[in-house]
Amino acid sequence: MTLGFLARLMLACLLISCAGLAGAQAQKQGGMLRVTHRDNPPSASIHEEATISTDMPFMAVFNNLVVFDPDSPQNRLDRIVPDLATSWKYSDDDRTLTFQLRDGVKWHDGKPFTSADVKCTWDIVTGKVDGKMRKNPRKTWWFNIKEITTNGPLEVAFHLNDPQPSLLVMLAGGFSPVYPCHVPAAQMRIHPIGTGPFKFIEFRQNESIRLERNPDYWKPGRPYLDGIEYSIIANRSTAILALVAGKFDLTLTGEVTPELVKDVKAQVPQMQCLLQPSNTQGNLLVNRERPPFDDARIRRAMGLAIDRKAFSDILSRGVYNVGGAMLAPPEGLWGWTPEFMATVPGYSADVEKSREEGRRIMAELGYGPDKMLPLKVSTRNIADYRDAAVILIDHLKTVYIQAELEPLDSAVWYARLARKDYAVGMNVQGTGIDDPDVMFFENYLCGSERNYTAYCNPELEKLFHQQSMMKDQDARRQLVWEIDRKLQEDGARPVVYQSQGGTCWWPHVKGLKLAVNSIYNHWRFEDVWLDR
Amino acid sequence: MNGGFLSDAVYWSRRYPLGVAGAVIMIVFVFAAVFAGTVAPLDPFTTNPRASLAPPGATYLMGADMMGRDVFSRMIHGARISLAVALGATFLGSGFGAALGLSSGYLGGWFDLVVQRVAEVMQSLPLLVMALVITASLGPSLINTIIAIAIPLIPNVARVIRSNVLSLREMPFVEAARATGMSEWRVAIIHVLPNTLAPLIVLATAQLGSTILTEASLSFLGLGVPEPWPSWGRMLSESAAEYVRTAPWLVIFPGLAISLVVFGTNLLGDALRDALDPRQRD
Amino acid sequence: MLSYVIRRLLLMIVTLFGVSVAIFLLLRIVPGNIADILFDSAGLIDPAEKQKIVVDLGLDKPLPLQYAQWIAGLFRGDLGYSYVSEKPVIDEILPRIPITARLAGIALLFAVCTGVPLGVISAVRQNTWLDYGLRILSLSGLSMPAFWLGLLILMAFVHFFGTIPIYEREPATYWAWIQMLVIPAAAVGFRSSALIMRLTRSSMLEVLRQDYVRTARAKGLSEGAVTFDHALRNAVLPVITTIGVETAFLMGGLIVTETVFNIPGVARFLVEAIRWRDYPMVQNLVMFIALVVVTVNLLVDLTYMFVDPRIRYGG
Repeated sequence: MTLGFLARLMLACLLISCAGLAGAQAQKQGGMLRVTHRDNPPSASIHEEATISTDMPFMAVFNNLVVFDPDSPQNRLDRIVPDLATSWKYSDDDRTLTFQLRDGVKWHDGKPFTSADVKCTWDIVTGKVDGKMRKNPRKTWWFNIKEITTNGPLEVAFHLNDPQPSLLVMLAGGFSPVYPCHVPAAQMRIHPIGTGPFKFIEFRQNESIRLERNPDYWKPGRPYLDGIEYSIIANRSTAILALVAGKFDLTLTGEVTPELVKDVKAQVPQMQCLLQPSNTQGNLLVNRERPPFDDARIRRAMGLAIDRKAFSDILSRGVYNVGGAMLAPPEGLWGWTPEFMATVPGYSADVEKSREEGRRIMAELGYGPDKMLPLKVSTRNIADYRDAAVILIDHLKTVYIQAELEPLDSAVWYARLARKDYAVGMNVQGTGIDDPDVMFFENYLCGSERNYTAYCNPELEKLFHQQSMMKDQDARRQLVWEIDRKLQEDGARPVVYQSQGGTCWWPHVKGLKLAVNSIYNHWRFEDVWLDR
Repeated sequence: MNGGFLSDAVYWSRRYPLGVAGAVIMIVFVFAAVFAGTVAPLDPFTTNPRASLAPPGATYLMGADMMGRDVFSRMIHGARISLAVALGATFLGSGFGAALGLSSGYLGGWFDLVVQRVAEVMQSLPLLVMALVITASLGPSLINTIIAIAIPLIPNVARVIRSNVLSLREMPFVEAARATGMSEWRVAIIHVLPNTLAPLIVLATAQLGSTILTEASLSFLGLGVPEPWPSWGRMLSESAAEYVRTAPWLVIFPGLAISLVVFGTNLLGDALRDALDPRQRD
Repeated sequence: MLSYVIRRLLLMIVTLFGVSVAIFLLLRIVPGNIADILFDSAGLIDPAEKQKIVVDLGLDKPLPLQYAQWIAGLFRGDLGYSYVSEKPVIDEILPRIPITARLAGIALLFAVCTGVPLGVISAVRQNTWLDYGLRILSLSGLSMPAFWLGLLILMAFVHFFGTIPIYEREPATYWAWIQMLVIPAAAVGFRSSALIMRLTRSSMLEVLRQDYVRTARAKGLSEGAVTFDHALRNAVLPVITTIGVETAFLMGGLIVTETVFNIPGVARFLVEAIRWRDYPMVQNLVMFIALVVVTVNLLVDLTYMFVDPRIRYGG
């Protein structure tokens, strides 16, 4: 297991540094990058969306305060580099973070960038100011910001309630661009203005997105590309076929399933494909307020029935990771090591033994092969969700639960979740950044919007806050592991698999640097060039 | 015709070879559907990770799908779904459509006008909208899919039956019946209805095939018969998304099955029309 | 005659009114509205934010008021704004209609140009191997799921030519558009072509037997003239019926073909609009489709009257 561990990390690093090494060649100016896209972005405003459909195309229009170092395959706290901020400093009590900002940066419409824009952006996303956004998915990320002050046009300070090392991580992610004060949210949704290397040209619903080079970009000589064009092709097979036929240069990230990656490489051996975690996990939403899952024993029996490896085998030919709430190493920073994982109940390798125990529990409650517990497994009516649900139903049979699939239209799904009108739901969820603050506060905090199961454990919440303030990242990791284990033991939201997805591109696309623990953070495209 | 079953069979085969071929296909189809449990070699619902995407071979005659389920067994059970959809939707749709067409064509006047408008409204609402509304409000299920597919059949059948009735109405024998003082109802039922039966049967048989095709389209768009029922349409649409190159047997077999069964209904329908509707005979 | 046309036009309006009420109510019966879907992509359920959107879009007003506002807007020519893209509905629909129209037009052209001649040949050469072959071909066309055919075509192109005839970017010239649409149009039109072929064949056969054709032959007209002048003209009727009855199937074929070949037409757009519960978009699109359908029905009925004087509609 350790060998595979190391091998994966080395392979990823190799691939990424090769890409970087290739960048050492003389870069060529010019060319349109053509990318396949799959789902219509709900809008062009990154702050209002939580999907890669919006993040990947539109990240190139913006800059952040800080970004993750593109040369580091792992997005991590100690590899953060300047973007619009040239330097930053913590106050002595770690409760104020002050940024010095870059001079001479202009928005795409010519107006100058100042500290006021930073304050505007974060006043709106924290909810202090009503920016007329239609939605604000990451409001919980910024819970710790007390206020933001500016000191002249080139300095801005974030005042926090408590120390929070993860704040920088959140600011470095693809979901944290700086927005202009002078452009209303409604316009940012259909015609975003940023300071980034590419200007927005047009967005045709369900059809295409076009970006053009920003000749006044503040990094001299960048970007190399003339423009980027995304074509929305709903059918995955068709998109891959078109890529192989040479009509496109790059796929949407995570688009290529492990099976298809093999197929693509078989057809075009020189195609570059990187299979990496997609920050998405399959988990179970268990309604603890409604029978049968108000009975902890039945919850436990269900947990024992799950064969996590089977999910991975079926959905991804064994590629998907098994882990807890946090992304597993070597790609993830905060997930359990295999040694630690072995100590967590429900993650034992002996599935048959677990299932026997599950059957014993159910038998005590009066169930058996002739008297199965009927159950409805609800899920969104989308292939990924449905496939996982079908596997779950099959596993539940082994503990005398006769489950039936209830596929729900997306709108209905979320409405039913809100009303707690379900027994168990098969859920697939994404996380913006590989960070415990993000994971815990978004999903497991009492009363948090995304806490669909209303799981509430005040003791554990204290630990959430405790780890958030810790500066020593190694000690913090230990605490995060413990919290993760407790969450799985509680059956808060049993994690079933952590998915991986592939990104493929032709070798003439150079300078592309992907990270192994996030799909959202490196789509600036300012260093990408075409060798043609 | 006399001489026993065998000579009958020979007679019909000589006269309507294509029709008999169609009937044979239908019989195989119905047999598979009815006796699916005994005919299918494996359980269509059991997932088996090790067999995922196995190509056609000894154990898995038509290969296995992503979940490791036997495609051949799923196809056989799928026949049951397709049969249920076809029969259910056709009966519902043709039945209501015929009733509407007959009454509006025969009675004429205001009733005809209103029914025609209602039929037009139903025709104008795209099938997709109807299907989405029904499956989203009532939940996706076999029954709801049948209802969704039956609805666009109604105006089409009504229209054809109506124009049939319109021309029949002016025929001499109908006039004669009226002249003898028979009530309109009796004229309609005794004289007009039997003469619409033949075209109705032909029409209904043609619709059998189209309901199966419609179910496939609905599944392609994510509406239609849900898991775990192995509907051919859904098997086809799911594999079409991902496995066009890697596992083409997943795309070919369900499509072939659908095409073959619909082909059979069309052959049968043609032969029935030749036999029952003398005006159209070759 | 004129009074009939005027009456039909008035009745058309009644139908359209019925459609507008039907689609308006049906959309609102379906659970979930744009607020639910928008939040779906963010995975959130914040009742307060959702309510803001609902109020903004006027979805909390009583239904008759919403309906009245929509219809009043229609008369003014104001189709409202898309809930998803927040751009005027007209701006979204107008550029896409010609695309689907071209696709449907080429498909019908293909269907008629292949279906009619093949139907004639099949009828004239009745019961020969050619006839049987053509009949089996046409039956296959009626038996295949439209998207399966499209997929097979795609797979064939990839396998044999290494290219893939899908839409990836907007063609520059009109001629480039036609080139791009030919293959998907053939996929859509294959079914209609098969139908037309069968109907042409059977009505040709019927007509060829009739008395006045025998008379024409007796008068000494050549076989060719008999065939094409008299018989064909009377075979036109069922073709027209097909166009009327097949509109529903054609719409479905357009939807799946546009999806398989990735064409940004109005049919595929309707599917997406329904998924997003984009009420203004769906309502207006459906009204447009209804307009097309009732117009086609009217034209079909009128042509019936011209071509077959035996059918009267009681003035």
